[in-house]
Amino acid sequence: MSAIQVTGLSKAYGFYRIFEEMSFAIPSGACFALFGPNGAGKTTLLRILATLQTPSGGQFTIFGQDGVAQKDSVRAMILFIAHGSHLYEELSATENLQFALALRGQTPEPSHLKRALDQTGIGAYGNLKIRQFSAGMKKRLALAKAILAQPQLLLLDEPYNALDDGGVIITNQLIQDTMNRGGTVVMTTHDRNKAAQIATEGAILQGGHLQLLSPQELQTHVLS
Amino acid sequence: MSFLNTIHWVVWKDLISEWRTRETISSMLFFALIVILVFSFSFAMDQDAARQLIAGIIWVSFTFTGIIGIGKSFTSELQNDCMESLQMSPVPKGAIYLGKVTANFLFMFAVEILLFPLFVIFFNLEVVESVGMLLLVFFLATLGLSAIGTLFSALTVQIRAREVMLPVLLLPLAVPVMIAAVEATRGALNGDPYAFYSQWLHLLVIFDIIFTVVSFWLFEFILDS
Repeated sequence: MSAIQVTGLSKAYGFYRIFEEMSFAIPSGACFALFGPNGAGKTTLLRILATLQTPSGGQFTIFGQDGVAQKDSVRAMILFIAHGSHLYEELSATENLQFALALRGQTPEPSHLKRALDQTGIGAYGNLKIRQFSAGMKKRLALAKAILAQPQLLLLDEPYNALDDGGVIITNQLIQDTMNRGGTVVMTTHDRNKAAQIATEGAILQGGHLQLLSPQELQTHVLS
Repeated sequence: MSFLNTIHWVVWKDLISEWRTRETISSMLFFALIVILVFSFSFAMDQDAARQLIAGIIWVSFTFTGIIGIGKSFTSELQNDCMESLQMSPVPKGAIYLGKVTANFLFMFAVEILLFPLFVIFFNLEVVESVGMLLLVFFLATLGLSAIGTLFSALTVQIRAREVMLPVLLLPLAVPVMIAAVEATRGALNGDPYAFYSQWLHLLVIFDIIFTVVSFWLFEFILDS
């Protein structure tokens, strides 16, 4: 069974069509990198897969569950790290993790929280409020959330933005760990070189159409 | 367990955020103090007229003060797109709603408890015998306003003119609660026998139940839209 099965997916805002009749499948244990110019609809596609937006047509399944009709089941399997950090400015890093996981029905041990913060290199800042965090630190905290949540499907929107080299390594390690336990990762990125280190599948979204890349084409695209 | 746990965490998050900023409570208190002062000076020469109108004055200030607090309930979720994490949460959305209602109720009730002594002082009210009944009226009416207000706060939070739209949509629906609260408050303040105004308390209970149940079911659709 494919982790993601997309059939005839379309999205339009009024008369403006973002993409139409898009079909593809992503197997379990894969990392799918989605490339494309600004405004191509990469984030829109990711938001549809995250159940934050409804497609105008077509359907998609996540691990066999319908993404529109069975939203709650799908939401239990996914974690979306978006442009917005989904963090509360007045809460500390540890408190944000506790709250984010509580919203997923999880209650992690304090030692697990500490370990996740350490793994992402912000262990020393667990009690610091988010309004004192830099963009990179917020991104690392979002990665800590993914480490604790262990989702079956990890959706990453421009995951390398605002991260230093250490942050990129942590991100790719998280992606690798997710794949190793049979999970699937879908990411949008403009950073071909960083994506090339980890992506197993890829596609280019341009002009409303998705061009799937073979492993060889993926490497060629990255190098070009 | 997960349901109650979610309610607990939403309340905890809202209370701890408010404790650290004091944004909502301070703006509610500031607004309410101005209302009390204005009414107090307006009726300075005519204490009898003030006593006739005091129940209405109390609920005008409590309701509009409450709308300030309720309006901020979901605007805090807009920062860093936190609304999306509520939307994507796999836990029952009703639990998030009840958590928000509880937090809003606590903010409003706390402000009412702080303000009421000022009404007693400025309007020279005698409340020793009716304070228990007044607290019950405040509790029931505030619960109703929080229940319906939280739903409309979620509904209007993505609208650009939300500060205008929230009271415009909320107040017509809140009118039955306000009328019942005014009548019950008047009865309690006048020292009337309970039977004289008990129907207004029953009405408040009925509206609390209707508003909570309907909003509980609608909240998921509003959050997803």
